[in-house]
Amino acid sequence: MSPSESTDAPHNAAVVDNDAARSRDSARPGRLQGALFQSIGDAGRAELVERRLAGAITGGHLRAGERLPSENDLARTFGVAPTTVRESLLALRGRGLVVTRRGRNGGSFVAESTDPVAHARTALAETSRLALRDMGAHYAAITAACVRLAARRAVPSEVQKVRSRLNRLNESDLEQWRSTLDDVQIELVALSQSARLTREQMRLQAEMSPMLRLIDADEASRSAQHALLLSVVDAVEAGDDQAAVAATERMVDAVIDALIDLQSHTR
Amino acid sequence: MVTTTTATETAARAATIVSQYFSVPIAALEVKAAQLSAELAGSGRFGELSSHQLDALVEPHALNIVALSEARVYGAGFIAAVGLLADERNHLSWWQGDEPKRLLLAAQSVNKEHIDYSELEWFRVPMETGRGHVAGPYVDYLCSDEYTITVAAPVHIDAKFVGVAGLDLLIDSVERQLLPQLAELGASITVVNSVGRVVLSTDARHATGDAVRGGALAELARTACVGVALEIIAE
Repeated sequence: MSPSESTDAPHNAAVVDNDAARSRDSARPGRLQGALFQSIGDAGRAELVERRLAGAITGGHLRAGERLPSENDLARTFGVAPTTVRESLLALRGRGLVVTRRGRNGGSFVAESTDPVAHARTALAETSRLALRDMGAHYAAITAACVRLAARRAVPSEVQKVRSRLNRLNESDLEQWRSTLDDVQIELVALSQSARLTREQMRLQAEMSPMLRLIDADEASRSAQHALLLSVVDAVEAGDDQAAVAATERMVDAVIDALIDLQSHTR
Repeated sequence: MVTTTTATETAARAATIVSQYFSVPIAALEVKAAQLSAELAGSGRFGELSSHQLDALVEPHALNIVALSEARVYGAGFIAAVGLLADERNHLSWWQGDEPKRLLLAAQSVNKEHIDYSELEWFRVPMETGRGHVAGPYVDYLCSDEYTITVAAPVHIDAKFVGVAGLDLLIDSVERQLLPQLAELGASITVVNSVGRVVLSTDARHATGDAVRGGALAELARTACVGVALEIIAE
């Protein structure tokens, strides 16, 4: 209930004295002020850079052995001083995620020993069922909003390009299999023509994708995910927004169920 | 005295405004693409160039385009074809932002480093046709992360395709710059792209991104803009 509807105000206040009602309302704390005064955290800039890079490494978005951009390039991109980048790289070296080599072909590299699957297994074991379901609810809400718009706005030739990508899904390389599925999902969502929703989807996809690799090992799970995503593509191509939303919700439910199953078997 | 103009005349005037707006960045990009191909031809054989050398060649041209005063360009650069560079397969030599910075990996996102550019319209069409192309509007999840139109031109060395030079125009900027000019025409003007998607409209009911198909606009005549694959619907 919004403050203007609260029961202690006279029912006809807005009619009787509009201005008085408005000034009374503005004096009351609104629900949204709760968000305003939430903790903004006190992580230093180096810690934020470290967290960003660590997330990319443990999530497998930066691969073992991959060369990181130079300190100066990273500093420019993140909009921080080179010393801040150096500090965060030092911390990442301390955690064993990054190694630095000297010499002509030197630089910082993702440590060969990093294993995104092991990181994902730890993350899954440490996440409660409640948090998994809530992550699913968030993911489903954003994805459903995207495919609803995509079904209304995309032209068939655009959806067919996404479909042909999905048709080339290759079971022989599981890492490639997951990254193709991620790409197809992002491309589908971009057809919503909404930049904000697409950015949010990419953030969620990057968060969930490492965990999803754990259920990809199971062939039945892979074919179920493939079939469900295909049904979303079908609905978007047909311009059927309700079917696209329903198929998306089925897909997310199946994935979260599989994660919870896996979690209860390995605990 | 106000003279009455027909919808066709208004559409033609709107088409001229839109063509002129896009002609400046398109012409600038073509000049830069030609300069770049000459410089690339003089800097070593296909497959021998390093990404670092390429960036040094591209940077001044990219910054020059981003600084264009006539149209607000968000980002510009060059995307090498597979095989041009000795050290990287998918190299983006791209500068963007209000204080242009070279675009690096986006650690928060998925798979940007592993994208096959030949799947993307702004790369594929110039590669296949050998001619410039205006792609979008589309959500550019690779570079700008915004709703974008990309102008692209192929770059060749001795008739061999070596990559695509491009620039990004954010629809947000296009709307700010074009809408006041189109609104002066007095009629309801809607700019649509080649797949029938609304780019912008003076009529607030026609939302950017919406498909024309199935709506009231679908029945109306369209007037093509010269030099850019956009069309005008005047009501």
